[in-house]
Amino acid sequence: MTGAGDRILGLGLLVLAVAYGWAAQQWPEPFGGAEGVGPETFPTILSVVLVAGSLYLMIKPDPDARWPVGKSALELAISVVVLVVYTLLLEPLGFVISTTLAVGTLSWRMGGTPVRAFLTGLISAVVVFVLFNYGLDLSLPGGLLEVN
Amino acid sequence: METLGFLMEGFAVALTPYNLMFALLGAFVGTLIGCLPGLGPANGVAIMIPLAFTLGLPPETAMILLTSVYAGAMYGGRISSILLNIPGDEPAMMTCLDGYPMAQKGRAADALAISAIASFTGGLIGTVGLIMLAPILAKFALTFGPAEYFALFMLAFATLGGITGKNPMKTVIAATIGIMISTVGIDIATGTQRYTFDILELYEGIDFILAIVGLFAISELLFFVEARIGGGRKKMSVGKITLSFKELVHTIPTQLRGGVLGFIAGVLPGAGASLGSFISYTLEKQVLGKKGTFGEGDIRGVAAPEAGNNGASSGALVPMLTLGVPGSGTTAVLLAMLISLNITPGPLMFTQHADIVWGVIAALLIGNVLLLIINIPLVGFFVRLLSVPPMYLLPIVTMVAFVGVYSISHSTFDLYFMVAFGVGGYFLRKLEIPLVPIILGLLLGPEMEKNLGHALILSDGDWTVLWSSPLAIGFWLVAGLGLVLPTLVGPILRRRMRAALKEGPVSD
Repeated sequence: MTGAGDRILGLGLLVLAVAYGWAAQQWPEPFGGAEGVGPETFPTILSVVLVAGSLYLMIKPDPDARWPVGKSALELAISVVVLVVYTLLLEPLGFVISTTLAVGTLSWRMGGTPVRAFLTGLISAVVVFVLFNYGLDLSLPGGLLEVN
Repeated sequence: METLGFLMEGFAVALTPYNLMFALLGAFVGTLIGCLPGLGPANGVAIMIPLAFTLGLPPETAMILLTSVYAGAMYGGRISSILLNIPGDEPAMMTCLDGYPMAQKGRAADALAISAIASFTGGLIGTVGLIMLAPILAKFALTFGPAEYFALFMLAFATLGGITGKNPMKTVIAATIGIMISTVGIDIATGTQRYTFDILELYEGIDFILAIVGLFAISELLFFVEARIGGGRKKMSVGKITLSFKELVHTIPTQLRGGVLGFIAGVLPGAGASLGSFISYTLEKQVLGKKGTFGEGDIRGVAAPEAGNNGASSGALVPMLTLGVPGSGTTAVLLAMLISLNITPGPLMFTQHADIVWGVIAALLIGNVLLLIINIPLVGFFVRLLSVPPMYLLPIVTMVAFVGVYSISHSTFDLYFMVAFGVGGYFLRKLEIPLVPIILGLLLGPEMEKNLGHALILSDGDWTVLWSSPLAIGFWLVAGLGLVLPTLVGPILRRRMRAALKEGPVSD
C-alpha cells in the first residue's frame, strides 16, 4: 500500500493531538479564577491544528519513502544502541574509555577497519578530554582512570 | 547619521583582540563545516552553541563566534561543489553548474578563487544592505502590538517551507509539533504544570539546545549509517591560479547583480539562500545570453550564484535581528543562541543591546575580510579535508555534540533526551516532515503564547483583535499565500531548478 508511512504517522499524531488536547482540559482552574486566556487556551488551539493536520496526512498521504530493511536497519539499531550505551557508561566508565568504545564502534560499523576505527576513537577521546579538562577547565568524568 | 555612529561602536566591540580571535576561529571552523561532507551550516552552528556556552563567552563574543561560523559555512559550501560536483550545502547547488566544468578543464584553482572573491562581494553587499535596512525595520517594528506579532509569527511559519517547499501541510504539522514541545513545563503566566508528568527534569521545559543538537547532529549520523557512504574520496589537487586581472574585472558587474539579488531573496520571507543563488544564476544567464558559455565552465556562472548565496545569508539576518523571526534553519539556530543568552530578540534589541547587534554586524564585515584572506591561500588545506572519510568524521562530530550538551548541565538525562530527539528526527526526515519548523516552533512557541495572551487581555477576550489592524491583516494574507503558493508555483519552480541542474554536464 502506498502512503502507509504517512498514514501511520497521521494516526500517531492524531492520538497525540487528542491526548494532548484532552490533558489540557484537565488542569485545575488557575488561582484567581478563570480568565479569557488560561493555561489551556493555547494547547487547545494546537491540538485542533494537529488533529486537522493528521487527518490530512491520512487522507492525502505522500508516496512512501524507502525504509531500510535487513542489514541497514540492523546497523541503524546498532548505532542507536551504541549512543544509549555510551550515555549509560559515560559516568561510571569515564569519558576516555566510553568515548573510545563509542566512537570506535560507530566508525567500525560505518566501514572502518577495527584497528583504525578504535584508534580514531582513542585519539579523539584523549584530545577532547585534555582540551576540555585542562584547556577549558571543564570537568568531564574521569571514571575508572580517575587519579586521586 | 546615527547608524554610522553605532557601526563605529560595533567595530570597537568587534575589533578587540579577544573578539577578533573568536571571529577568526569562527570563520575558520565555519569554512570547515561548510566543506566537510555531512555537516550543513545549521547543523554546524547548532553544535557550536553548547561549546560557546561551556567556554563561558560573554554574549557579544558568543554571537560574533556563531555569526562568523555562519558566514564561513556559506564560503565552505562551494569547495565541494566545484571540485566534486557535490554541493557542500544546499545553497551551493548552483555553483556546481559552472564550477565543476571549470575544474574539469583544469581551472579548479581559478574557480575557487573567483568564487571566494564573489562570496566576499556578495557578503559585503548583503552586510551593507543589512546595515541600511535593519535600523529602519527595527524602528517600524516598534509599532507592532501583540496581535501584529502573533500574525507575524504565523507568517514566519507559513513561509518557512519556502516557495519551493513540497508539502505545506507538513510544514504546519512540524511547526505544531515544535510549539507543542515548547509548552511542556510550568506555564509562565499562571504557574500551572503542563505535560510534566511529575518528572522534575521537565518542570523547566525541554531545553531547545539539546533538541536542536539531537534533531540535526544525531539524525545526520543515522542517515549516513543508513546510506553507508562512509568511505572517503580520493585526494585532489587544485593546481595553480591562472586567473587574470582582466577576467576578474570582467566579473564585477555579475558579482554586484548577484549580491543585490541574493540580499533581496534573503530578506524576503520564504525565499532564502538557495533561491537567492538560483535567481542570481538564471538572471545572469539571461542578461548575458549568448555572450556567455554558461554550463560549460563560464567564470561568471561561478561568480553569480556565490555572490547570490552570500548576499542572501546576510539578508536572512535582517528579519532575525529586527523582528526576532528567522527565515531559515541556520538563522533559527542563531536565534536559539540569543534566547539562551537571555536576550529578547526583536526591535528592542537595537536599543537595549546595541553593543551586541552592532558588534555582530561589524563582525560580519570583518569576518568577510578574514574569510577572503583565509580562503585564498588556505584553500589547499580545506581541499585536503574533503577527503576525510565520514566514517571517522561523523562519530567524532557526534561525540563533540555529546560533550557539549553534557558540559552544560552535567546530566545524562539530557543526553538520553538528545538521543531520543535524534531518533525522532530521523523518522520525521524519512517521512519528509521538515525539521526547521519544529525548531522554530520550539523557539517561538512561548513568545506566540505570550503575545496571544496579551492581545486577548487587551481586547477583553475578543478574538477578532487578532485580525483587526491593517498590518495584521496583511501578515495573515502573506501567511495564507505562503501556504497556497507552494502548491501552485512550487512544482514549476522545482522543475526549473532541476532542469537547470540537468542541463549542465553533471554526470560523467
